[in-house]
Amino acid sequence: MNQRLVIPAVAVAALVAGELAVVLTSTSQHAELRVVAHPEASVFVLLIGWSFVGSGLMAWHRRRTSRFGVLMMAVGFAWFAAALTASNRPVLFSLGLVIAPLWIGIFLHALLSFPMGRLESRAASLIVAVYYFDVTVLQLAWVIFADVQRSQDCASCPQNVFLLSDQPAVASAILIVEQAIVGVLCLVGALVLLVQRWRNATVPLRRALAPVLVSGGVCLLVLLFTILLEPFSYATGRLVGWLGGLAFTAVPLAFLAGLLRQRLARSAVGDLVVELSETATPPDLREALSRALRDPLLQIGYWLPDSNRYVDLDGRAFDLPPAGALASTVVEHGGQRIAVLVHDASLLDDPDLIRAACAAGGLALANARLQAELRARVNELRQSQARIVEVGDAERRRLERNLHDGAQQRLLSVALRLRLVEARLASHPDEAELVAASRSELERSLQELREVAQGIHPAVLSDHGLAVALEAVVARSLVPVRLSMDLDGRLPEPIEAAVYYLVCEALTNTAKHAKASKVTVQISCSDGRALVEVADDGRGGADMAAGSGLRGLADRVAALDGRFVVSSDAGGGSAIRAEIPCG
Amino acid sequence: MIVADDSLLLREGISRLLVEAGFQVVGLASTGEEALAQVERNKPDVAIVDIRMPPTHSDEGLKAAQEIRARHPDVGVLVLSQYVELGLAARLLAENAAGLGYLLKDRITDLDEFAAAIRRVGAGGSALDPAVVSQLLGRRRDDDVLEHVTPREREVLALMAEGYSNQAIADRLVVTVRAVEKHVTSIFDKLRLPVTTDSHRRVLAVLAFLRS
Repeated sequence: MNQRLVIPAVAVAALVAGELAVVLTSTSQHAELRVVAHPEASVFVLLIGWSFVGSGLMAWHRRRTSRFGVLMMAVGFAWFAAALTASNRPVLFSLGLVIAPLWIGIFLHALLSFPMGRLESRAASLIVAVYYFDVTVLQLAWVIFADVQRSQDCASCPQNVFLLSDQPAVASAILIVEQAIVGVLCLVGALVLLVQRWRNATVPLRRALAPVLVSGGVCLLVLLFTILLEPFSYATGRLVGWLGGLAFTAVPLAFLAGLLRQRLARSAVGDLVVELSETATPPDLREALSRALRDPLLQIGYWLPDSNRYVDLDGRAFDLPPAGALASTVVEHGGQRIAVLVHDASLLDDPDLIRAACAAGGLALANARLQAELRARVNELRQSQARIVEVGDAERRRLERNLHDGAQQRLLSVALRLRLVEARLASHPDEAELVAASRSELERSLQELREVAQGIHPAVLSDHGLAVALEAVVARSLVPVRLSMDLDGRLPEPIEAAVYYLVCEALTNTAKHAKASKVTVQISCSDGRALVEVADDGRGGADMAAGSGLRGLADRVAALDGRFVVSSDAGGGSAIRAEIPCG
Repeated sequence: MIVADDSLLLREGISRLLVEAGFQVVGLASTGEEALAQVERNKPDVAIVDIRMPPTHSDEGLKAAQEIRARHPDVGVLVLSQYVELGLAARLLAENAAGLGYLLKDRITDLDEFAAAIRRVGAGGSALDPAVVSQLLGRRRDDDVLEHVTPREREVLALMAEGYSNQAIADRLVVTVRAVEKHVTSIFDKLRLPVTTDSHRRVLAVLAFLRS
């Protein structure tokens, strides 16, 4: 069928069905088995049916892929069909008996599949399936064995044409199973699911779900109440008076109210446009979008076309969450992908709102993307710098290790052998002296080699840590040093190396230039940051540009994402401070 | 005597030298664990342990040395290292310097000194490398109490720190024991340290003072 004709066709069908239901109800010669029990509440025959069909049509119009709208319409029509129990003709009356409670099954199905139109958990599917079985198969079984005129105390009712054999005992047993056991269990289970759903929902989702969940929950309570009040009448799908009528009319109205609220939300996008034109700095952008979309947890990832990935505003990697409670929407601007919004999945209910927000925020997002891209580049640069330093350090470590395990050990063992030879040459003093001279030459070479190795890489640092390594540095310093260290255990190796070289370089500078009488070295680690300060009381005036040593240190610290400050006023001493993240 | 060093050349070299000097080598080891096992099995007087051994080549030797001292307090431990570090000496000698030595590996070629150090450690004394001691004495301090110490007293102080007893100091400086005792009393007076005659306690006291 042409889709455009669906809405008028359904509307006309609903009008006709409603009219027929009213006619049937008002001309009925028996009151006992009508869907709306009390005559004064018969206005609900129309109200309930039309509101379900009407809001179902709206839901279907908004999202044709969702089954929710169709289910709502089906509730309305099934409700009208239940009015057949009011008919005075035996065939229609009997048909009404069979299908009377079906609308409640469809209602349960619609409620549990709100808002996506599908049953999201196995428990929900099970409850709906059991309940359908309950209101179709068991209901039919009841109709086959129940002489309604007698069992329902309705002498004026037409004949039940489906009656095969009058078995009062069987009929009432079926009714007990159908209502008191399966019916009650399913309704209670559905209530539990609704409560769970509410508790698990995120804040924006709760706001969207609240009207329907609350009114739907009230309906379930009304149904339970009905069963408990009249345990044997429920099989006819009747409602009890005003309360039931109001509760069931409220569900479609609540749904319509939700739709209206979304329309209002869309007007917040208008505010977004104004806000962005006034304060379009990137950090406010998230706030503004989050307000417009009413999702406090909204996140924005910016697209880097070169590396095919998203980053956050600070240029750090941004991973899309797995599908579930969160959903993502790609934002395009000028035909290019620029960003992705990660938002609550409930917002997908209103794609127009997201589209409008993306359009309004497009230009600002494109600007923010440039900033994110720049920061990502800076991060990459810093990481590559850190890698270069690390590779250099590793190479130095390897060289030192090779010297230690190779040349130094061999030379030492040669010196040992010379010593043995020396001992055996006691009777040849000249030769012994020659060997002794060679040995002491060798020992001097060993000492020089050790100093070279130590210069290449301070093995004591990687073997035993900062505290041990710095003690010797402090002892060698030409200016008295006060060293205070406040560290729990060891820092990561690159940071230890940076701190070590920084202290060495600073002490060397102080000794060379500062004419200082004392130096204090303070090293501590708190809140995930390592702090180093080397301060002297010398004449000051140290210049970053003057020494390549300081420059190199600054690079080393920068590579670790740290900060490095030299403060040195003429006559006021010098201080070098570095702060390196070590979390 | 057992020798633990991961270099085969050095292990053999050191043990030959020791045999030459009249020591008896009862076991060789190439890792810290082996060294510990050898000590268990052979109960040597002294274990000579290289500080840097497999698998991590960082402080296995140090750990083995501490383990040996904890489990076998009567076995002297002489730790050898390619480099000597003040901080490490302090860590090693932290509580108890008795039966403990820490020497630069190169010292082994000076057989007399090496043998003297082994004997001191074996007899429950201490041996601290002269390089460490000179690092300590050379350190600039803002409260320079060492200024009042005479050059001769400085020599005595250095030898005390290395772990020599008064008798040994007297032999080395070719003076009488009485003279050494006089120097020692004067030094402790100037440094305001409580007098102790036990040579390894003296090492700790001097070390602690010089590091402060």
